[in-house]
Amino acid sequence: MKTKFKIDDIVIVDDRVSRSHCRTPSYIRGKVGIIERICGEFPNPEEIALCQDSPSIIPLYRCRFKQADVWENYEGSDKDTLELEIYEHWLKKI
Amino acid sequence: MSKIYKKMGPHDVGGENSIPIDLNDPEMTHWEKYANALRIVVSSKRIITLDELRYHTEKLGDAYFKIGYFERNCLSLHNICLNKGIYDQELFNVVKLKKVAEFDVPKIDLPDPKKIEHLHDGVPHSHEQSDFQEDETGEGPPDYYFDTLAIADIMIKLGLITKEDITQKIDQFDNVFPNRGKTVIAKAWSDEDFRQHLIEDAKTAISNIGIKLETFADIICMPQSPETHHIVVCTLCSCYPRTLLGMPPSWYKSRSYRSRVVHEPRKVLAEFGTIVPENREIKVHDSNADMRYLILPPRPSNTDGWDEEQLSEIVERDYLVGVRLPD
Repeated sequence: MKTKFKIDDIVIVDDRVSRSHCRTPSYIRGKVGIIERICGEFPNPEEIALCQDSPSIIPLYRCRFKQADVWENYEGSDKDTLELEIYEHWLKKI
Repeated sequence: MSKIYKKMGPHDVGGENSIPIDLNDPEMTHWEKYANALRIVVSSKRIITLDELRYHTEKLGDAYFKIGYFERNCLSLHNICLNKGIYDQELFNVVKLKKVAEFDVPKIDLPDPKKIEHLHDGVPHSHEQSDFQEDETGEGPPDYYFDTLAIADIMIKLGLITKEDITQKIDQFDNVFPNRGKTVIAKAWSDEDFRQHLIEDAKTAISNIGIKLETFADIICMPQSPETHHIVVCTLCSCYPRTLLGMPPSWYKSRSYRSRVVHEPRKVLAEFGTIVPENREIKVHDSNADMRYLILPPRPSNTDGWDEEQLSEIVERDYLVGVRLPD
């Protein structure tokens, strides 16, 4: 599997607007985190949703974010984190 | 709270403010079980993928807010079938009318309530109030059930699915899936090697003990510890390890839980009666794509010498989602 990122790379989630179906929640776009693990390769949900024949198979990563970096005025502990799955084409290296 | 912008649609709720979580989890009705089974059968056979179903649900617009979870599923399934030419509206209407007719039992001639006299505390009494009405009207199946039955009927006749596929799926959700997670956790509490394997590669570890999960998704197991408290949510829909835990409870699918857990996990946990110490990291897992999460709770201290069967009986679903910890 060819992946653009490796574990512990610092990444930013692209802040672009998505068209149609997409699995990158809006709240995480534009936020900076690290690659927690590489989950494997999966068909691109944005293409499956539109019934495209032979959707591209793309790497999926679990990314870790500090809650304080995601939410202004986060009230919990500085240690608190949030992890979610982001497909490669939504990530950029910093 | 940060600003929320560029929402994808009514489903993209992570980070919103919302009301306290309603912890009631009513038993599913038969039509809901049927609708759920049909959706799972159709997607597991790849007749219609989960992402297509999600996309069409997200596109429902105002209807998304006006109808419930299973109604949305039903409507989006119907729209996809029309789009894909699996059937046309005319055929659907004919089949639906047939389904309605199957339920159209003759009305019983109820006596006029005003003419009935009977004894209340020994006093003759006639009913003039509306307290007979609830028996008289009864509650028929909701219209969406007929839609669901019609969709299933057409798909069965086309040979895409079978009747047995649906009944088997309902049975698995009722009797098989909810017990698997408990079995796995009880094993992890009893067998250190299995526990390690479960944390390293959950799907293989689970498969090695003879549980074959009917899911395309991968499973990640996170152990609760004195350092870290894990909690799972799906902010975009209701991703949940169904083949290990059964159907998600109502609150897991609720807008309030899905919107709030990501930005105020401690407040949400407190509503479940779970107070996490300030110095313990809370790690929220947004199950937003192809992974499903199983949280491994600590083994309760008063269980020395218990066998796996005894242990599995005290494993509760809420522990495995991370909203509660064993006492």
